[in-house]
Amino acid sequence: MKIELLSPAGNLEKAKIALLYGADAVYIGGKQFSLRARASNFDLAMIKELVDFAHGINKKVYITMNIVFHDDDISGLDEYLIYLDEIKVDAIICSSMIVIERAKALTNLEIHLSTQFSVTNSLLANYFFHEGVKRVVLARELSLAEIKEIKEKSLADLEIFIHGGMCVSYSGRCTLSNYTVLRDANRGGCAHTCRWLYDLFENDRKISDNHDFQMSSKDLEATEFVKDLLDMNISSLKIEGRMKSVHYIATVVSAYRMLIDDYYHGALRDVSFYQNEIKKAENRQTSYGFFKGETTTEQQLYNQRSEVPTKEFVGMVMGYDNSRNLLEIEQRNYFKPGDVLEIFTPDKTIVTFKVKNVFSQDDEILDAARHPLQLVRLPFALSIPKFSMVRKVKND
Amino acid sequence: MKFVVRLKTIEEITELISMGADVFLVDTPLAVKKVGLEMYDLLETIFSYGKEVYLLVNKMIHEEDVEPLNKILSKAKDNRITGVVAGDLTVMVKAKELGVANKVIYQPGTMNTNSFDNEYFFLKEIKGITISKEITLSEITKIFTVKKTELSLVGHGFIDMFYSKRKLLTNYFIFKNIVRENIRENPNFRLNEEMRKDSYYPIFEDNGGTHVFRNLALESFDEVEELEKALDDFFIERIFIGDEEYYDSLKVYNNKMSREEFLEKYQDKYNKGFFYQFTEKIKGELDEN
Repeated sequence: MKIELLSPAGNLEKAKIALLYGADAVYIGGKQFSLRARASNFDLAMIKELVDFAHGINKKVYITMNIVFHDDDISGLDEYLIYLDEIKVDAIICSSMIVIERAKALTNLEIHLSTQFSVTNSLLANYFFHEGVKRVVLARELSLAEIKEIKEKSLADLEIFIHGGMCVSYSGRCTLSNYTVLRDANRGGCAHTCRWLYDLFENDRKISDNHDFQMSSKDLEATEFVKDLLDMNISSLKIEGRMKSVHYIATVVSAYRMLIDDYYHGALRDVSFYQNEIKKAENRQTSYGFFKGETTTEQQLYNQRSEVPTKEFVGMVMGYDNSRNLLEIEQRNYFKPGDVLEIFTPDKTIVTFKVKNVFSQDDEILDAARHPLQLVRLPFALSIPKFSMVRKVKND
Repeated sequence: MKFVVRLKTIEEITELISMGADVFLVDTPLAVKKVGLEMYDLLETIFSYGKEVYLLVNKMIHEEDVEPLNKILSKAKDNRITGVVAGDLTVMVKAKELGVANKVIYQPGTMNTNSFDNEYFFLKEIKGITISKEITLSEITKIFTVKKTELSLVGHGFIDMFYSKRKLLTNYFIFKNIVRENIRENPNFRLNEEMRKDSYYPIFEDNGGTHVFRNLALESFDEVEELEKALDDFFIERIFIGDEEYYDSLKVYNNKMSREEFLEKYQDKYNKGFFYQFTEKIKGELDEN
């Protein structure tokens, strides 16, 4: 069976972009029971709208319900599960026993076990399979060899994280945020305390300099290992980042989509090609996590340095006027006549051009596209599909 | 309610019993945050004192750990071992295969936070669960009202906040080009965060990874009367605590020393953890990535 590419989506626009750019499924959090509840604007009606949209193009929607439940959190759980079942959500992703058991008792929902449970072996994966869990999202602390061994012994479908932010702790085993800022890390309140700056002491002797002890890790980037995961017949490859921008989602999903499709077509390119595509939107340093085994200094962030994407996202195509050959763009970042832009479409076509003129919606000539979300028009000979990304090409 | 203590030496057993210890918790090869490295090899001697013995298996279990786990759980078939304290649910799964699931106390630290967990694990016929460390006293007592399986709590000592597989100290010294021995299982490292100048968080690296602890130890002297109404086991954690202080804490819980005397002696090290402290579910407006 063809592997699934699973993308995050923090809102409806991002979800649709992810699906249009090649994700087979998206996972979203509703306003309840999700670790990203704060970031969510997915009310029940919007979840239904997304499910209908996804099913209309033969794709899937999973709902995260991965908080660690306290007694006070349980109110409304049954009704929520029943609703998700009624609107034909494709699966729920959870980590608490109560969600698994209530979902089994009340619904026909497919159940996936969240990485919050940090499953690191096949015994536990199989236990959950027998408990009614169809898919287990494995812990991010596993090497490729360990994943292979688990896959060989596992009855459950397996989902593997391939890209995005990583907890430094085993997921679900951290209360740093609870203790330091009174926000419950396992109920959506994580303050990323692990990314703060610390000094290291041995007894009373300071060892570090200027708070340079950091626990923070680089983001995961597993292009190098996707071929191995495909060879293993893993069920799903997962991208992290429900808080990321539409441009990031489109770019990263598209790069992994190309990699997967190239594998199935027997036409894999050098891995640097896919990595360079990702770099057009990536703004954090990346590494390969635990895929090669124990992590080293290579996987840690010690200097808080951000990466600058090689291409700056400047807008999204919202339409094309065939009669006047005008491209309508929703501005996201500053650009002006003379800039060289690159259009990147959902079907992976890339067109590079130099901006000659920028017009307002009232056909006034503008010296630049200055305002976020402003609709501007550019003369352009080719019809470009809606939701194509527009990037500024940077000079080296 | 039994007082479960961590054992460091054979020589202290008699003294610990006289102070009120009911159960000795012994580190195994699959324990992290160890305090008594060679005790596992001295089980026969420990048994000879006639007290209950639990084995500590709190490492996250990877595939390579399954065979060592098998050996530990086979040893746990011995009637003189009455509990296996498990950090990873895999221990329960393997114990069921070997017929010793009824000795497993599931103690993951963060996951046992509601009444349903107590019912779920009752139906799995394990010995019990340890209520999670980040919930309030009122939440704990609510779980008591529907008690089905045995319940326990780590009610005293330095509680860990974070368990990473990464060797964070070793990697840091490499990053700094500092050649250094005695990193593993060294209890003297502490972290200080730039905005919290007075808080020093113990950080401890071992074969399982890296653990970060609260800056202050937990004490439950005022709460123990309420807790013992429903708890079966009260764990007294030992890491980072000197022997005399550890013994004193056991004395207080067994009314052999006054809480006032103890707190006068050690007060600046202790607080009440989350007993009276709710945590927010939703992020605020702090600077976040």
